[in-house]
Amino acid sequence: MRSVLLVFAVAAAAAAEHRMWVCMRIQKNWVGGLPLKPSGLFVDSPGGTFEQRGYNHPLVVGLDYDPRDPSTLYLAAGNGLIRASERGRRWRILTDHQVTELRDVSVDPNAPGTIYFAHVGGLHVTRDGGATFEPVHPLARRRYTETVRVDRTRAGRLVCGGESGLYLSENGGRSWRLAGGAGFQIMYVQQSPHDADHWLAVTQLGGLLVSADGGRTFENSGNVGVHRNLYDIAFDPTTPGRIALCGWGPGVVVSEDNGKTWEERNHGLPSTAVWSVAFDPDRTGRLVASLHEEALYVSEDAGRNWRRYGLEESVAYRIRFIPEAAR
Amino acid sequence: MRGTLLVLLATAAFAAPPFEARVRELIESYAHPKGNDFGYATIAARLKLGQDPAWCSRRLIELLEPPIHGDMFWMFPTTAIAYLDRGQLSQEARQALREAWRTYMPFRGDTENHWLLYYTSLYLMAQLWRGEPGERWFTGKSSEENLREAAAWIDSWIRLTTRRGQGEYDCTHYIGVFLLPMSYLAAWAEDPVMRKRAQMMLDYLIADYAAENLDGIYVGSHARTDDKMVIEKWHSVAGDFGYLLFGLGPRPALMNGYALYYSVASAYRPPAILERIATDRSTPYTHYERKRTRNRWRFHDELHGPVYKTTYIRREYAVGSDQGGILQPIQQHSWDVTWAVADPRGVHNTFFTMHPYSSLYELQTYFSFGPDFGVEEVVRSKRTYDSPDKLLGGSPFEKIMQDEDTVIALYAIPPLTRFPHINGFISKDLDEFVEDPSGWIFLRGNQALIAARPLQRYALKPIQGGGRRLFSPYLNNGVVVQAAPASEFANLEAFRKAILALELDYRLEPVPSVRFRSLRGRRLEFTYGETPRVDGRPLDYENWPLFGGPFLEAAVDSEQLLIKYGSERRKLDFRRNTVE
Repeated sequence: MRSVLLVFAVAAAAAAEHRMWVCMRIQKNWVGGLPLKPSGLFVDSPGGTFEQRGYNHPLVVGLDYDPRDPSTLYLAAGNGLIRASERGRRWRILTDHQVTELRDVSVDPNAPGTIYFAHVGGLHVTRDGGATFEPVHPLARRRYTETVRVDRTRAGRLVCGGESGLYLSENGGRSWRLAGGAGFQIMYVQQSPHDADHWLAVTQLGGLLVSADGGRTFENSGNVGVHRNLYDIAFDPTTPGRIALCGWGPGVVVSEDNGKTWEERNHGLPSTAVWSVAFDPDRTGRLVASLHEEALYVSEDAGRNWRRYGLEESVAYRIRFIPEAAR
Repeated sequence: MRGTLLVLLATAAFAAPPFEARVRELIESYAHPKGNDFGYATIAARLKLGQDPAWCSRRLIELLEPPIHGDMFWMFPTTAIAYLDRGQLSQEARQALREAWRTYMPFRGDTENHWLLYYTSLYLMAQLWRGEPGERWFTGKSSEENLREAAAWIDSWIRLTTRRGQGEYDCTHYIGVFLLPMSYLAAWAEDPVMRKRAQMMLDYLIADYAAENLDGIYVGSHARTDDKMVIEKWHSVAGDFGYLLFGLGPRPALMNGYALYYSVASAYRPPAILERIATDRSTPYTHYERKRTRNRWRFHDELHGPVYKTTYIRREYAVGSDQGGILQPIQQHSWDVTWAVADPRGVHNTFFTMHPYSSLYELQTYFSFGPDFGVEEVVRSKRTYDSPDKLLGGSPFEKIMQDEDTVIALYAIPPLTRFPHINGFISKDLDEFVEDPSGWIFLRGNQALIAARPLQRYALKPIQGGGRRLFSPYLNNGVVVQAAPASEFANLEAFRKAILALELDYRLEPVPSVRFRSLRGRRLEFTYGETPRVDGRPLDYENWPLFGGPFLEAAVDSEQLLIKYGSERRKLDFRRNTVE
């Protein structure tokens, strides 16, 4: 019976169009300076084991890819913007000494070679695949930028968030306007795969911010995560209306009605300190979450029940399902 | 008189061998360590001495077995070994070293010393292994790309340091990781301009320390120190360098590895003028410095804020301070009085107060920490960070003024602040300690007399390891401190009378405010949140020099440093890369 299940699992994984990639660090009992257990970029292999790709690195916190070539990933890392080609195996640090401690990265799918990245000193872009870079900070001062996301439907349109609020640019970062969340530190911003006008942003203490007009304005949803810290947003690509958020305190929070109501779904989780979440686009209802210094957990029913999955003692900063082949 | 004799006797007792002998002794101590801890330092030391190359090769191969760790603190030892090889290592050992620089990606880190170690090492290794493609480097960049990037960062660091000061300034520990990279470049950079600028930076950094040391102890405020060094002042990397460079203080039992790596590279001996500045305390002086904060990523309009330092030094003691506030995360030390002792080993020769502050705000200002885990992550390595009993760290609710050997520290701690009290450090090594009914405390440490007037009631609590913690649980608070040499008074009672005769007015509401006529006859006025005044004139922060005082002189943005001693002059000009 067990063999049959295993074969089934392997067959299912082999047939999957996407693979799960994780930016993580084995953090339990670790402090800077001590030997670092395998950390950095990992991919979920058929059979349920994780394989490390590229170098050991303590601070890979974000990743993205160009839909035209998903075998090349772009990593937001402590050492800079890293191009991880050959399915993550071959790394090159694209940036130089002028930027440090990246926080997020977003490839413009409609502008070849254009990659934006958020870092502690602001926001930069390359428009030539990493040969040259230019700053595109929304603000002259107080530049700390935590997250950036490009509109998948229009080149040069992007939203970023940082120390104080969300900013929208519609011309590749050449000019910006405040879109909302002023006074709140923005932790992450995401666009719905079902409705290009629907954007969400999570904050430190301020809860969830919602945009229904393509990121022009964000309003507080007022009913989830306020006074707590939310770290990640996952739209379920298989099920319109289903969204997961996560944070410390609320744990995993899921909405089945496009964010009108929310339910904490932490049954089977060892704590409610959750760093990241992601839905599997190939298996409806399959949701993955990173529990602080515990492991990755997986749910097959959109978070109603959980089981331990792998990457023991890790903190996964970001989990992404990335297609195996170009679209 | 008796103390002066003791100091002289102690100096004689610690008479150090010549510089070259100190360097040799240090290298020998690492080449043949006690015990079985044979690491990269032993290899570097033996290669420097030309000893046992076969063992060095074998041991290097063992150490380079994956998984490697250490990041930039791995890069600089292996860089030294690569340059000390000089044909001694086996081909296999060399290949292992080369391969390690391809397969191991060191983290570049998040602060000034990390980046300097990283880029200095990368620069030298790219210079050593020229013409190699990106596939041969952990960066994925070619040797020439690595060399260019590293050179650009090093140049930018030199420019920023000589214009606005260091961010990690005057560190009791990290001084070593600024000196050793410059020693490497001064010895091993092939580019004569880089080599020269590195040597000039050695003069610059050593001058910074020389003018602000007392018998080898780095005095004054520090961007970073630690829980032990903040009270046992000599026990530090700076103390090691004091001995190595100038023969100051007792011979350390085993110097820190940073001093070793400094010595196996250029082993640069500072010019005589710096030795005179480091050792001559015959005339009291006030020394001024402007530094900058570490990178403030959040919550501030400017990336770097100014740090205004004042340090008064005389043979018997030093009094040093910054202006207060959070200038650095976690390990800042803002002010103290440090007195000279005959033998500093194990001695806690200092007095200070502080507000124990810890917060996510502080951490998010300087780091990329998220909100929930930042404090816990810091406490894992800096264990006292979130302790109410701690004696280390700055506070946004502390403001300080200093004039010569008088300090006024004021505190206005908002309600609901995590630790609503101030701590003071009362040493186990005081020669006299008197709590006077007037509210003043009188202390004597060797030949230093110290009067301290807490503005609120306090209790004294024992500290593990000796000494007591002055604990004063009031939000609006302060302390007025006046130091004086014992030679100015017949005894502590005479000092007490002189202090009690000084005019002191203060109020605590709405914020602390003090008017004090100092022992030096100056009228000091200081209200929390306002610019301090001396004899009616506000302190001139606008024109605070990068360096000012009898020994060092530099204007902000000048990229120059004038080193002075008597009629001697040595001028470093980083714009023209000249030393005159």
